[in-house]
Amino acid sequence: MWTGDKMITNPNAYDLIVAILNAIGVYNIILGFFQDLGMEYILRVIIVLVIIAVLLVFVLLTVMFLSWLERKMFAVVQSRYGPMVTGPRGLFQPIADGIKLLGKEDIIPAKADRWIFTLAPFVVFVSVLLVFIPLPFGRSLIVSDLKVGLLYIIAISAVTPISILLAGWASNNKYSLMGAIRAVAQDISYTIPLAITAIAVVVFVGSLSTVDIVNAQSGYWFGFIPKWFIFLQPLGFILFLIACIAEMGRIPFDFQESEQELVAGFFTEYSGMKFAMFFLAEYAHLFAVSGIIVTIFLGGWTGPALPFIPFELTSLIYFMIKTYAVIFFAMWLRDTVPRVRIDQLLNLGWKIMIPLALLNLLLAAFVVTAGVI
Amino acid sequence: METETLLLNMGPVHPSTHGVLRFKLRMDGEIIRDCQVVVGYLHRGTEKLGEMKTYLQFVPYTDRLDYIAAMPNNYSYVKAVEELAGIEVPLRAEYIRVLVMELNRIVNHLVFMGSLLLDLGASTMIMYGFREREKALQLYESLCGARMTFNYIRPGGVREDLPDGFIPKLREFIKDMEKRIPDYEDLINGNEIFLMRMKNIGVINAEEAINSGMTGPSLRGSGVDYDIRKVEPYSIYPDLDFKACMRSECDSLARYLVRVDEMRESLHILEQIADTMPEGKFINQRYGMAPTTGAPTAVMSFFPRIFTPRAGEVYSRIEAPKGELGFYVASDGTTKPYRVKIRSPSFCNLVALPKMVAGLKIPDLIAAFGTIDVVLGDVDR
Amino acid sequence: MNPAEELKNALPNSVLSVGIQTNKPLAVIKKEDMLKVAAKVRDMGFDNLSVITGVDCVDRIEVIYNFFSYKKKQNLALKVVLDRSSPEIDSVVSIWKVADWLERETYDLVGIKFNGHPDLMRILLPEGWIGYPLRKDYDMKTEQFVTIGEDGEDIVSTDGSNLLRGQ
Repeated sequence: MWTGDKMITNPNAYDLIVAILNAIGVYNIILGFFQDLGMEYILRVIIVLVIIAVLLVFVLLTVMFLSWLERKMFAVVQSRYGPMVTGPRGLFQPIADGIKLLGKEDIIPAKADRWIFTLAPFVVFVSVLLVFIPLPFGRSLIVSDLKVGLLYIIAISAVTPISILLAGWASNNKYSLMGAIRAVAQDISYTIPLAITAIAVVVFVGSLSTVDIVNAQSGYWFGFIPKWFIFLQPLGFILFLIACIAEMGRIPFDFQESEQELVAGFFTEYSGMKFAMFFLAEYAHLFAVSGIIVTIFLGGWTGPALPFIPFELTSLIYFMIKTYAVIFFAMWLRDTVPRVRIDQLLNLGWKIMIPLALLNLLLAAFVVTAGVI
Repeated sequence: METETLLLNMGPVHPSTHGVLRFKLRMDGEIIRDCQVVVGYLHRGTEKLGEMKTYLQFVPYTDRLDYIAAMPNNYSYVKAVEELAGIEVPLRAEYIRVLVMELNRIVNHLVFMGSLLLDLGASTMIMYGFREREKALQLYESLCGARMTFNYIRPGGVREDLPDGFIPKLREFIKDMEKRIPDYEDLINGNEIFLMRMKNIGVINAEEAINSGMTGPSLRGSGVDYDIRKVEPYSIYPDLDFKACMRSECDSLARYLVRVDEMRESLHILEQIADTMPEGKFINQRYGMAPTTGAPTAVMSFFPRIFTPRAGEVYSRIEAPKGELGFYVASDGTTKPYRVKIRSPSFCNLVALPKMVAGLKIPDLIAAFGTIDVVLGDVDR
Repeated sequence: MNPAEELKNALPNSVLSVGIQTNKPLAVIKKEDMLKVAAKVRDMGFDNLSVITGVDCVDRIEVIYNFFSYKKKQNLALKVVLDRSSPEIDSVVSIWKVADWLERETYDLVGIKFNGHPDLMRILLPEGWIGYPLRKDYDMKTEQFVTIGEDGEDIVSTDGSNLLRGQ
């Protein structure tokens, strides 16, 4: 139940670092050092910077790995090898790609709006990166447990279409513009069912905090069925999954960049590092959205604790396994199905998904008020 | 609200125009109000070249028309020349010709399926299609040394006899394909999204299709039971058991399904040929080229590389994988054709496209265009 | 009775002679009566216009139409002889839609003008190309250079000066 003024915040990565430093007995020494200087806040800034650095490195490595994984999976499905030359089984291919992109000429079309054109890829990347902040990677492994975490995620996700529109408009290219308009239409029509299905979960949990949502999913029914919301809200899960794939803009819903129709959609005119930013954002988004699906419906980092291993570590592993399962599903989808048409997608969104999402919310409300759970 | 139409120039360099085709689209948002097809970016003056080469020299140029399926091009031209010059062809040569052409039909349809699905955004089928196509291309390679531009069929027969072990390898291919086609159907035909994208898209009724000069599988998808192999049988087709595949839905899905059925029929034909391949000469010894290996050198002198048909003209057509492929050849009694005119299926099938896509959306244009199955080498010649 | 003779009986004044185009019946017709004959040919059941061929015979230009009837499974070829100095003939686009492109192609490569064609312009070669390539006297020595102008139109020149645009 929502109490309105929960005072105890869940532990986050900052607390974890402090706890680790305490455990090895150096925290007080360092703290003392900065206290002597009278600049205690510097320590806090340093710890926060460390967290940011770890997050950035994590995101970059994930993106590299995902792009490799996607190509590799694609290859396996299509009975090919995929990248094989650079590194063991082509594992360093993303690095080679990155170097190639760095070395490319950065072209700005003559009639493009220079400033917006340059700004757009960064806006996309930053907005995706911000989604990671309330994402619980494991117990205590969260940058910041915002009390409105879910709302925050949905709100930040809504920035992406704006930046795509910026990119599409500033390119001064008809394909880009059409891609951007499609992306906006698509995002608007899918953020609504996304939010409504998420609210249905919030009705059960009574909190918007992602950590609270995960905690609500720990434990078992009848001793063996994990208390994940996927079992409580199967309809909600399916709707949320579809909406998320649409939100990510992946096949079968990749209209913003549908290459057979719009060449490359909103990033047709981009090259070099700016293109790399879109690329980074795309895979980071894939990971972030999969993480959100896991957090809301698949029990987040919950799982059986193993002896002798700190649960912070096992929970991270559980989270990763689940997230990669969702990513695997998204990639598998891309390998198998064709793309739907834009009007069919919007029909699906407005005429089917939103009514079903509302129905799902209604059911959830009934179940909670009746006190079944 | 007042809106204006957007002029969108798709191509000539665009991922899904299958080469260098250009659509001039007048768009109302996503909806196509007017579509104009601009061709000619791959024009190589093949017809003019035909006037400047001898009859035999022109055969390799026909390979470059529809480079996905080059054997029917060879054959169509050679058939016209043979009709004009009254050249007789040994039975074994005819069997080999039909064999290579039907194999090419399968190759063409595999590429068609792959590129259509790629146009729709599903990129796996093209790799599967190319995997099987590779096996067929290896068969071709063992046969004539080339994989795409064969230069194999000659006036009077074919260039070389079947190599040793060709028929067993062919049987292997047939057996493999018979297993693969259901696989493809599993992957594609049952896919709801695929059906959503194809059903009732690019509809053209039989009358309009005929009037717009559509031929081949595209026409048969509109419910016209018309296959030149049946209505004007040539070569050994009268002796073979096969049926012209036809569907009456008139939409993109029908055109696609016709081609899948055709692959089965072609396999059936190949099986029959593999069973009944006669022994004998592979080329009429009065006309055509000497075999490069294995043949007695003495017969070399009997084979004129240059011959002069009587003055006259002929229009001869065959059922190529993409439709009616016709060659008009006029002779003035010299060693070179006076005029060669190519009636290519891709060119004429494109005429109907603007009619098919008016009022649809860009993705539908791509889908409908994909099901017409054009090759730009064939359009622009 | 083959279709060419049938046509001759129906329109004795328009059909000059009947013959054979290697196993296909051929009728040579007057160019002034092209539309009349075409309408008759359509009424005879020839719903498919296979191909239009223009042949430059040095002293004259011939246009050959090959038809096929889906209903009767018959072939028919029509031949029209045109004056070489100003080859003109009525367009049959109103009867067979496929003639649209076939006539454009013939116009493009052989230089036959089809009166009444809705959009008679070059199809394979760029607009402004000099000469008709399939004419026997076409100048193959002179090179022609094509670039795209500011508004997407084709610019053709023989000296390549347009290639230096913008330098």
